[in-house]
Amino acid sequence: MTRASRDRYPTVIVGAGIVGLFTAYHLARAGGGPILVVDRGFLSGGASGRNGGGVRQQWETTATVRLARESVDAFRRFGREFGYNIWFRQGGYLFLAESPAELERLRRVRSVVRGEGLDARELTQSEIPRYINGLELDGVVGGTFLGSDGTLYPFPAIWGLYESVRSLGVEVLLGSEATGVATANGKVVGIGLSSGSVSTDAVVNAAGGWSSELTRRAGLAPANDATRHEILATEPLKPFLDPMVVRLSDGLYFSQTMRGEIVGGLTVAHAPGTARGMPSSPNFLRAMSRALTQLVPRLSSLGILRAWSGFYDDTPDGLPLIGEDPRLPGFFQANGFGGHGFMLAPASSRRVAQAVLGEPTDLDPGLFGPGRFRDPGRTRPVERAQLG
Amino acid sequence: MASPPRSTVRFGSRRLPISPGRSLLEALWNGRLPILQRSIRYHRPRAPFCGVGQCTQCLVRVNGVPNVRACRYVPGDGDVVETENAWPSPNHDVLGALDLLLPGGIDTLRGFRRPAFLTPLYHQVVRRLSGYGRIADRPGGIEPPAARRIETEVAVLGTGIAGAAALSTLAEHGIASVGIDTSPIAAVRPGVAMLSGTTVAFLPPPRPEVDRPWRLIAVEGRRRGVDVRARSVIIATGGYDAGLWFAGSDRPGVVTAEGALAFTEPNRAPFFRRAVVFGGGERAAEILDRCGPQVDAVVAPGSVSPELTEKASALEVPLYPRTLLMAAIGRRRVRGVRLRSRADGAEFSLETDAVILAHRRLPHPQLYFQAGAEMEWRNAGGAYYPKLGRGTATSQPGLFGAGEGAGFVGTAAAEASGTAAAMQALGEEPPSLANLGRVDAIEPNEIEGYYRQLFAGRRPKGKWIVCPCEDVMLTEIEEAHERGYRGIEVIKRYTGVGSGLCQGRYCLPDTLLLLARLEQRRPTEVGYITQRPPVTPLPLSAFAGLPDESEPTGAAR
Repeated sequence: MTRASRDRYPTVIVGAGIVGLFTAYHLARAGGGPILVVDRGFLSGGASGRNGGGVRQQWETTATVRLARESVDAFRRFGREFGYNIWFRQGGYLFLAESPAELERLRRVRSVVRGEGLDARELTQSEIPRYINGLELDGVVGGTFLGSDGTLYPFPAIWGLYESVRSLGVEVLLGSEATGVATANGKVVGIGLSSGSVSTDAVVNAAGGWSSELTRRAGLAPANDATRHEILATEPLKPFLDPMVVRLSDGLYFSQTMRGEIVGGLTVAHAPGTARGMPSSPNFLRAMSRALTQLVPRLSSLGILRAWSGFYDDTPDGLPLIGEDPRLPGFFQANGFGGHGFMLAPASSRRVAQAVLGEPTDLDPGLFGPGRFRDPGRTRPVERAQLG
Repeated sequence: MASPPRSTVRFGSRRLPISPGRSLLEALWNGRLPILQRSIRYHRPRAPFCGVGQCTQCLVRVNGVPNVRACRYVPGDGDVVETENAWPSPNHDVLGALDLLLPGGIDTLRGFRRPAFLTPLYHQVVRRLSGYGRIADRPGGIEPPAARRIETEVAVLGTGIAGAAALSTLAEHGIASVGIDTSPIAAVRPGVAMLSGTTVAFLPPPRPEVDRPWRLIAVEGRRRGVDVRARSVIIATGGYDAGLWFAGSDRPGVVTAEGALAFTEPNRAPFFRRAVVFGGGERAAEILDRCGPQVDAVVAPGSVSPELTEKASALEVPLYPRTLLMAAIGRRRVRGVRLRSRADGAEFSLETDAVILAHRRLPHPQLYFQAGAEMEWRNAGGAYYPKLGRGTATSQPGLFGAGEGAGFVGTAAAEASGTAAAMQALGEEPPSLANLGRVDAIEPNEIEGYYRQLFAGRRPKGKWIVCPCEDVMLTEIEEAHERGYRGIEVIKRYTGVGSGLCQGRYCLPDTLLLLARLEQRRPTEVGYITQRPPVTPLPLSAFAGLPDESEPTGAAR
């Protein structure tokens, strides 16, 4: 197995997904010294290569809207900055409500989003066909739409970052698993790797679905936990669908990729934990097919091309963990994104890098700080994953 | 006396006669391979290739439903058939100019980024070009057809020689069993329950805690879901003829041996006047048996078997052993082939209007992978086969492998393995399978050395399309490697190879060999693509009609 080239790195990042690579990029640009990124699997083998490519700015908390808006700007620049076209297409996000309570929730989101200067609109049932044709709207009472939301093709973002960080001198070690975190005097001093240990002052936990396990291996109780979610893609069709569509009641989401496939899933967890791998299930194929063909009956004769699954890394309040873990100085959390890590990565990773460099960030530790769950009252959802 | 009016389908302004039970492709046949569509990225002309419903090259729109495989669809009177992804027609397509204007292809990963203000316009244009067919005109029935539920002792997947032998043995023992086969006319013998025209989509690992641990999902007639619960499963899904990479290997007129046999039925003249057969063994000999008079030459990647030598000499067909197939000549149709001797590098051309690929058989490993059976790489076949313990037993309890897909080569071995699998499903000791044709015993197909030589030499001009479903070029895989990407999972995501409608059947086996050479590793170290459901694209409506796992299942056979 390939070993790291040095014995010591100021920073070791665990996870070569979008969050880990973006963090490495920001650190390297800031002159953060030799950086090592390790990943237990292959490039794009985790959620960064398994997500539906959605990028939205409609959130329940102002702080998240700001992270999302900054990330949208970063995705717009991505091609010029990193040399890869990620096919970021701002076709909008259309949320559908089927009850007055759901509509009320969307209205609250809309007012938060508008408060940040984004043009989120409320749609009546009869206005929806202007944005997408062929929906069976019985039961839909209305929705919201934000045209600057969109979708992208996740893989090239990984290639662009991978090549950029390597040209900045970052070492990326694939197929190397973090086995433990070495501490002395209550601080991080090193990390154990399946390819051999190295010493370091800072470990960034950007391991996505496996990050709660890494926290455990650092001797801490994790606040987050992984759940398995399934997703599918259909045969490619000529373009007919511009926005990402999300139905609040069951979390059905789907969009059409640049290649013409319909890609989507249901925001329901299919199994807890990472222990049983990433299989697909007959029940998901059934539930997803029912939900999709009920809302878009003209898709019913369309073939399913393939189904797969990946992990959401969930926290009790639906907000990510960003920053140094107060229980272990030198251990930085960059996880808990609950299935939204890709879309929030550019802005979140910049703040992770700031934290590692000891710079102040603009994040409210009460909302994003890894220490916030010491307050026993903090288990109620603040951002609900069910939004999409 | 007036004969009754014949049933027809509408195809453009024409009405084409159809015969009961025969495929739509037959009705569209015009004496030679019809060009029914253009490829997805470069609008290259494509004609039927595999003849067995696996490739992407006979997709048409039927009654407003997109992406219907003409070779697998049995039409009804009055069906309206249209072509896809071509304007004004697949024979003369305006966007075919893209292929000529872009000899090096389109760099979708790094292109279309500057100037920034034009990016949205680029994206709009490229997006318009994506996809094969348009969305269906009408809902295909909002209420999905309720699935059939079947409970049985043994499910036998595939009813060729091995599957039929297994079903016969089970019937003799009075054991409830069901045979499942994609062919609409599959039948074994009276008294054996059959689901014909049915494709197994998904065979998840067994659930040991329930009475019938195996639950498999199949789709009947591309429409209705079938939910089968069984105590044991015998996989006898066989194999298929591989594709081959060379310049223009996607041109109309290049077909697999299966395609050549399917398109050359006894009652019909072959679609070619002269063909070049590529292969040096049994499969090539079979082609000579069926359409020998039209075969102009046999080109073999390595040595030629004595049986084939004898047949070729009887027909006075010239043999070219140890020869590389470099290029197909011709744009809209194959007009010839460019060959290079492996011994001295001499290049020469032959005129032909068909290239029949009969050099290599591959197993269907998908269901074994899905079921979680342990697999092993066999150098001889250049493919993964299930690792068998005693007789036909796989590493999963209650799962048995028989026939070509499990590595039993030839009729006698297929039949014996089918019988043995049935005995083992009954819990009995299987007869010995030693001394039967196993894939390890057959002559190595030499394909690895063949490609090593093919890739090392100077390449003729023209696109080497290695993944016809997604129009991925050989140079794209090589570039991904040069940029530092390793392993087939990453190369798949980087290039799109293996992500198309054929589910990688015609590109992954060779990609594995290419990567092994580039990365200087064993094929097993290059990794393998996780086999995801469904095994082949099947409609959403069929899955929508499946029962909940929690719903009770009744015997509904």
